[in-house]
Amino acid sequence: MTEKRIDYPVATLEEYGYRETPAYVKKIIKVLKSVLTYLVIFFLYLSIIVIAIQSLNSSRVMSAFDHVSFQWYPNILNEPELMTAIKNTFLVSSIATVVATILGTFFAIGLYSLEKKRRQQWMLMNNVPILNADIVTGFSLMLMFRLLMPLFPNIFGLFTLVMAHLFFTIPYVILNVMPKLKETDPNLMDAALDLGVRPFKAMLKVLVPAIKAGIFAGMLMALTMSIDDFVISYFNTGAGFDNLSVWIYGVIGRRELTPSVYAFSTLLTLFTLVGLVLYETLKNNKKKGKLWLRK
Amino acid sequence: MNKLYRGLARPYQIWLIILVFIPLLAMVLISISNYNASLSLSEVQITFADWDLLFQHQTLVAFKNSLVYASLTTIISFVLGYFVAYQIKQSRIKNKFIILTIIILPMWSNLILRTEGLLNIMEENNILKSIIGFSLLGNIAGTPFAVLFGLVFTYMPFMILPIYTALEKIDISLEEASQDLGVTPFKTFWKVIFPLSLKGVVTGSIMVFLPTMAGFAIPKILSKGNIVLIGNIIDQKFLYTTFNDGSLLAVVILIVILGSLLIITRFDKEGETLL
Amino acid sequence: MEKKKALIELIDVTKTYDDENVVDNISLTIFENEFVTLLGPSGCGKTTTLRMIAGFVQPDKGSVIINGKLFNDLPPYARPIHTVFQRYALFPHLNVFDNVAFGLNNRSWDYLTHFFGLDEVTEEAIKITGGEPTKAAMKKVVKSKIDKAVRDALTMVKLKGFENRKVDQISGGQQQRVALARALVNRPQILLLDEPLAALDLKLRQAMQYELKEMQRKLGITFVFVTHDQEEAMTMSDRIVVMKDGVIQQLGTPKSIYNEPVNRYVANFIGESNIIPGTYVKKDLVNFLGVDFACMGYNFADGEKVDVVIRPEDFDVVDVTKAKITGKVIFSLFKGVHNELEVQIGETVLLLHTYESYEIGQPIGLSIDPYEIHMMKVEVNE
Repeated sequence: MTEKRIDYPVATLEEYGYRETPAYVKKIIKVLKSVLTYLVIFFLYLSIIVIAIQSLNSSRVMSAFDHVSFQWYPNILNEPELMTAIKNTFLVSSIATVVATILGTFFAIGLYSLEKKRRQQWMLMNNVPILNADIVTGFSLMLMFRLLMPLFPNIFGLFTLVMAHLFFTIPYVILNVMPKLKETDPNLMDAALDLGVRPFKAMLKVLVPAIKAGIFAGMLMALTMSIDDFVISYFNTGAGFDNLSVWIYGVIGRRELTPSVYAFSTLLTLFTLVGLVLYETLKNNKKKGKLWLRK
Repeated sequence: MNKLYRGLARPYQIWLIILVFIPLLAMVLISISNYNASLSLSEVQITFADWDLLFQHQTLVAFKNSLVYASLTTIISFVLGYFVAYQIKQSRIKNKFIILTIIILPMWSNLILRTEGLLNIMEENNILKSIIGFSLLGNIAGTPFAVLFGLVFTYMPFMILPIYTALEKIDISLEEASQDLGVTPFKTFWKVIFPLSLKGVVTGSIMVFLPTMAGFAIPKILSKGNIVLIGNIIDQKFLYTTFNDGSLLAVVILIVILGSLLIITRFDKEGETLL
Repeated sequence: MEKKKALIELIDVTKTYDDENVVDNISLTIFENEFVTLLGPSGCGKTTTLRMIAGFVQPDKGSVIINGKLFNDLPPYARPIHTVFQRYALFPHLNVFDNVAFGLNNRSWDYLTHFFGLDEVTEEAIKITGGEPTKAAMKKVVKSKIDKAVRDALTMVKLKGFENRKVDQISGGQQQRVALARALVNRPQILLLDEPLAALDLKLRQAMQYELKEMQRKLGITFVFVTHDQEEAMTMSDRIVVMKDGVIQQLGTPKSIYNEPVNRYVANFIGESNIIPGTYVKKDLVNFLGVDFACMGYNFADGEKVDVVIRPEDFDVVDVTKAKITGKVIFSLFKGVHNELEVQIGETVLLLHTYESYEIGQPIGLSIDPYEIHMMKVEVNE
């Protein structure tokens, strides 16, 4: 090959009618962008950072940090009110999540088999509990339960709370399952039924596995919404059956919040984080394993 | 899809009717009655007597506050949230799952407790100041700014997520096509990316606007009761068990929400960007 | 060959992804008004090469020269090049008209006045105002000129009357035409086409091949076309670049690539062919299948092993008694115009096309004209 080296002139933006941004301006913009991004993320985290710090504060006084202490963590068990609130929260949320996941999946399959126009109408209805303001939902449910009181005098408590939570968790499950249903091969079920599988069995054995990612996502979302809910629980609880949010809201007013609440919240955040990271790593390893097999 | 399973939709339709329509209908009816906890059902009658509540000074101020705070929160969340969502999309970090987890993680902590934590560091002497030596936010507890700050950084993830989802769905080749046609990256953003992400912006805005407009816990805690939103009045009416007044105000909120629902359905038929 | 102006020059260009040279030290010159096709299977580096010309990918080594200037660091938007994307990449929020007008609508004022000719714009503006060519009047002129340019482009691609359609309401073939109009309306010097016909059905594809070729000839724009379809490449191109594993295998006119493939890879990729081991006996004489054949135009060392390439349609079927080689038909398939035969000669099976039909088991006599015999150096590594 003959080596021919010509020094070609470098084409510039100006020749083609554009203005060149000076390198230092680009640099400044880049720095500003990352500073702003990190600042926003920091502010999103500010509250849980404060909670974490407070959980490690040896003193009960919230306005000053004394020294690092883990005493509030084991102390969670010694706070009967806090423990009751935690138990109530988990009771309500686990019942609501399990029931919402199962019912939501069936309902989604039902809605999906409607013709498109009707499906869209009912999906719109499905969005009502999600988009409706919590205060309207909570208040109107409370009114209905109240109207039932002459028949069931002790209705407020675990039952109303679970019903109210189901009311807003089911739509989230449906919302997560629906896109997965749309992705499935429309012939999948026909094929299964054609092979003589009974409809209900075909649904459990063929359809549900195909949409399990959506079901799982819906379950997680339902659990999140249920555990974190304040407003709807606030209106629909009774007989002293407080979940964590309602209990904290009540205690703040009285200014006697135990630092163990912060410890519990921090623990929960850490568990969530570890769980998510584990889930993601496992998922990636599985993928890599498969890739390795293919090679 | 097989018609066999249509039967499964029926119970949910009934469920929705019982838990959406009947309570809302009850609420509307109660709003035009004299119903409260001290009356027995036989004494309840239709009356518009308590409707002057709507025009009382306190109510009007609360409505104004609700709209002002919700609008400001939505606008600020939109500007900052869009920016962050766009940066995430542009970032060279491959694992979007991790990034999204970072955005959502704070939402997994208890809302009331987080607000309480924010209130603590908005006080004159606070735990953060005792560590870093200066007050990060200043002594703002009880001020409008404190409420706004709390609302924005509590609800912003609801803005970031749908916008990010919408941005992710935009085919990269559209951006390339635009630049290929001689349009600079800056202009490409405004002419291609932004219009195509509007669906996410609308969803996000509604997801932020509605809970802020109708919420009551954050304003109550961070303003120390100084700033009253419509939700706070409903809360009062609930505590005083004057249910007809509470219903009346809730109906007004409901009307605003129905308006928003109409907007969202024009952009997004089945709520695809809601997640 | 007449001396043409080089428009695009790639000099020793390399692009590496994950330690793999997707494009490996390529040098290529593309001239003005040429229709050049980059041909190869997926993963051969043809699209990456195209994207380097467009500016979406920066080469790790080497230079991209366009119009005699170094373009390596110039962003895509500043290049006088437009692309028709594989999936068209039409803007879903704009209608057909606005898609086509997109480039012109978003250009700077200076660019537009230059594009339409400042004098002409000024003159028409004066006509409107009857005095000074005000900026508003000039803007109006430019706007109407954009409007006309877009309509002309749509007429050229036969989409007149589709201006207000949404892009998802038209067929794949029509979308393809919109993409073409959207690029051509800007009068680019170079048009890059990344497998633009891949998503169309056969009939439409053939019609579009013809139209594209016509358009290129009429407009005098340089087309750089990427495809994996050798037939498409053959029909449209002035020159074809056959690529494999990021390396150019052969560069030449469709005819020369078809008739004189430089190696087995090209011979197999471009149509069907018989590759038979042989020996270059001496000048104009080659031995294969145990027989000496007259040949022409190749120079190897006497006695060197060569690979002989014969296209299936280049065999002459002759009477068995007069034949140079004889064999037995072991497979026969009627293909419409011709019959496809497999003929066994000793250990070797040859593929050939004839107009006569043969039964399986029938003997057949063959001869080959000297100019139909092509030879390649034997490749050691494969």
